[in-house]
Amino acid sequence: MKKQPISDQTLNRIIKYLSIALLVMALLFMAIQFKDLWNWITSAVKSVILPVSLAYLIALLFFPLIKYLEKKGIGPRGLSLAIVFILGIGIVFAGFFFVTPLVISEINNFFSNDFPKVITYLTVDMRDGFILGTDIFDRIMAYIEDTNIIGEWLNNLLPTFLASVGSVAIPIITTIALVPILLLYYLLDYELITERMRSIIPQKHEKNVAELGSRLNQTVGAYLRGQLILMIAIGSVATIVYKLIGLKYFFVFGLIVGLTNIIPYFGTIIAAVPPITYAFISAPVGPGPLLVLAVNVVIQFIEGNIFQPIIMGRQLEIHPIVIIISILFFGSLFGALGVVFASPIAASIRVIWNFFKEIKARKLNQPDEGVANTG
Amino acid sequence: MIDKKRKTRIYSQYEIKVINFYATMIWLLPIILVVTYVFEIDQKLNINQFIFWLAIANFILTLIGTGVLLFQRDLLKRRVKADYQNEFVYLLFICSFGVLGLVVIYDYMGGNRQYIANVLVVVVAVLIYILLNLNRKFFKYDYMKKK
Repeated sequence: MKKQPISDQTLNRIIKYLSIALLVMALLFMAIQFKDLWNWITSAVKSVILPVSLAYLIALLFFPLIKYLEKKGIGPRGLSLAIVFILGIGIVFAGFFFVTPLVISEINNFFSNDFPKVITYLTVDMRDGFILGTDIFDRIMAYIEDTNIIGEWLNNLLPTFLASVGSVAIPIITTIALVPILLLYYLLDYELITERMRSIIPQKHEKNVAELGSRLNQTVGAYLRGQLILMIAIGSVATIVYKLIGLKYFFVFGLIVGLTNIIPYFGTIIAAVPPITYAFISAPVGPGPLLVLAVNVVIQFIEGNIFQPIIMGRQLEIHPIVIIISILFFGSLFGALGVVFASPIAASIRVIWNFFKEIKARKLNQPDEGVANTG
Repeated sequence: MIDKKRKTRIYSQYEIKVINFYATMIWLLPIILVVTYVFEIDQKLNINQFIFWLAIANFILTLIGTGVLLFQRDLLKRRVKADYQNEFVYLLFICSFGVLGLVVIYDYMGGNRQYIANVLVVVVAVLIYILLNLNRKFFKYDYMKKK
């Protein structure tokens, strides 16, 4: 059988991909050679990206409200923006004002009343009920004491913490100060900024990029709005149910459920550990650990099967394996922020992938349409 | 014989608003009690008196709301949507917190705390059945459909 020769088109494509691969490798090589320079550039980019992306994400939450007010005739933009802004800041401050004292009092109560119980449990009760026997428990404790792991960790904790305060606290304070200002200007000139960004793109790709941008905005916006509603709802429900079953520190445990709800799958487990552990240690006072576990399972079941599909629709439905892999990947890449935003990033990648698939399909269909039209 | 196709009609915003308004009014008292229970406001005031005044305010609000609905009836009857997703989400939230409030009332009335989980399960099961039927008949939101 005669071998088919490679066409010029295929050859061109291979050369194009090879040159791109070579260029990427050259860039990586350069990055390795000038590590300090790249670190300097990436840290500068990071310090800009964090407040800008946070402002963009909050804008996705606020902008539909502004549009709604304008649709109802509350304008100009300055007025609708002022209403939404004051309302948003008011809600945040009211939340802090009412929730913080409760959380602080519960934490104080825990350390003054229940923390000694935890210590007693770890040193006495846990030893007696240790599954591998008291002998093994004593050996483990002796090893910990000999190697002084905890002591060393505690000794290193303070200097590490003090050293990281400068590098972590300053960007956080800068971000907190910058985000409202960026948000204000971004929302004020939302359409103008979008238009300017469109004008940078070459005319040939303008339509496609605008469509992709709008789809991404829709996906990420839907995720953020849905997630916020779910966090508040599930946190509140958990708080109420914990109080109803008589669990102490229900407010802190409910808050943990609400906050960790943003992390798919892992959040559920993280949120369930503290109340179950507490119920286990404080038994027979208060509800048993099995009841607390059952409450968590039921809440997560209702959230996952009723609330989430109804609130988010099924537009963000991604296979659990993909979500878990993205949490691990983006978590190791960007830390806590990566874990929190792993799902919307995965959803955005899927939107981009589907969009390019659509473009490819459209391009493939075009010649046929041309033939059909001429015919 | 009744034609089955004639049965599936789309309801106007009037019917949907009537359902949501009366659901809100029914669950308003339990929802407010949930907030007082969580923030422990009930320990700072006389809860029986509070419930009494709340019930009166609830009744007045129901009368005012009914009046507004009747006043806007013709306008709302002309507005129709294929499905009412947002309205159903609202109803879902109101009912969820309302049910918890019902359990809070059970607790206030001196019900045995041991049976709270049992009461909750029964009420939730009945409520889910009602909500699913309401959705199928009025709200028409197909939440199992992939977008």
